[in-house]
Amino acid sequence: MRRLCSILVLLLGFRLFAGEVIPPPPAAYFNDYAHVVSAGTAAQLDKTLEDFERQSSDQIVVAVFPKMQSDSSIEDYTVRVARSWQVGQKNKNNGAVLFVFVQDHKMFLQVGYGLEGVLPDALCKRIIDEQITPRFKAADFDGGLTAGVQAILAATKGEYKGTGTTVADSRPSHGSSSPFLGFGFIVLILIIIFFARGLGMFFPWLLLSSSGSSRGWGGGGFSSGGGGFSGGGGSFGGGGAGGSW
Amino acid sequence: MKKLAIILLVLVVLGLLVLFFVLAAGAGYNHLVKLSQGVDSQWAQVQNVYQRRADLIPNLVATVSGAANFEKSTLTEITAARASVGQVKIDPNTAPSDPAKLAAFDQAQGQLSSALSRLLVVVERYPDLKATENFRDLQAQLEGTENRISVERRDFNTAVQNYNTAVKSFPAVFYAGFFGFQTKPYFAASAGAETPPKVQFDFNKSAAAPAATNH
Repeated sequence: MRRLCSILVLLLGFRLFAGEVIPPPPAAYFNDYAHVVSAGTAAQLDKTLEDFERQSSDQIVVAVFPKMQSDSSIEDYTVRVARSWQVGQKNKNNGAVLFVFVQDHKMFLQVGYGLEGVLPDALCKRIIDEQITPRFKAADFDGGLTAGVQAILAATKGEYKGTGTTVADSRPSHGSSSPFLGFGFIVLILIIIFFARGLGMFFPWLLLSSSGSSRGWGGGGFSSGGGGFSGGGGSFGGGGAGGSW
Repeated sequence: MKKLAIILLVLVVLGLLVLFFVLAAGAGYNHLVKLSQGVDSQWAQVQNVYQRRADLIPNLVATVSGAANFEKSTLTEITAARASVGQVKIDPNTAPSDPAKLAAFDQAQGQLSSALSRLLVVVERYPDLKATENFRDLQAQLEGTENRISVERRDFNTAVQNYNTAVKSFPAVFYAGFFGFQTKPYFAASAGAETPPKVQFDFNKSAAAPAATNH
């Protein structure tokens, strides 16, 4: 019976992993999950982007992934990821996310509704084709992303006024609320596991449901040291452009 | 005397029940109004992005027809498709309640989509045109517009789904029809799959094929 349970759990896990993965919101402005950018450049760009939110309230995020975890097209997948991260301020929708998928040799710059005026599709395409792609072709990720970020900042500068703080700064509860949530979840799972030991033989779905929902939570428990990034509630409508190298 | 008290009590309880149902129905009614307006505003977004595409077409036609001896048939097809889109008269502020009307709208837009994708395939034969800055900008704008269209269509379908679910749910199902809340039609995903208006603006793919045969 226990073996049956574990097989079911495995199957469920496999089904979830085979499908699409929407990554959890990033903890920083510049996120190199693929480890292709030097630590110095990453820290510098992160600082630049954080300062830029203070100045302009625009939230510009860079996310470099090893691979795209979806069967959808890149423009469709990235707009859904950008929406789920809620990059940009709620009423301005002034967010933009540059997605890079290293092994796919693809990238896409998603632009929130509020920045479509200063970052029109044609300009996004030019930034990608002229600033980023040539450097990526030469495997210069540091240079490509630095040039790309500079071009995006230059284009968006002056569109909105900043408040001198970031969403992460002005949300002190952000740091404490999610660990609490995580703690509650752990307790819940422990209780379920505890009961499952005794009763679970008869209620295998208890085990299943605990493993299924813990996936949604997993990865959310990052620690954001020194401010970090926090989405402001902005939305996206599919603006921007993509490219490949 | 005791009887009267019981009758009074029953009346009070009945009155409270009626009040409760009226309040519940009122809340439900307001909820339906809100959802219905959500569908309408999402419909306006859908119209916006389609209009955005239509607005790009004169510029596109002008740019492409400037190229030396460009195939005129493709251009006339686009112009005709755009004109037929304009002929589907549909209220931009209220989501259509008639499935046939939405289907007609969808079909006209689908024809324009496939005409556009054919044009972009033809452009592959004109490398000089393709390399111009003007055309590259237009291409990026068209791609972006197609993305926006698919995003807004999906959001529209989500809004309609929320509304339809509410209309058909208990207890709204009893009074929704009385207040004129009918279920609303969706964009059919299959309509796009049968005919080929799913535009593939991926130039690298279509460009790679001829290049491979050249070598």
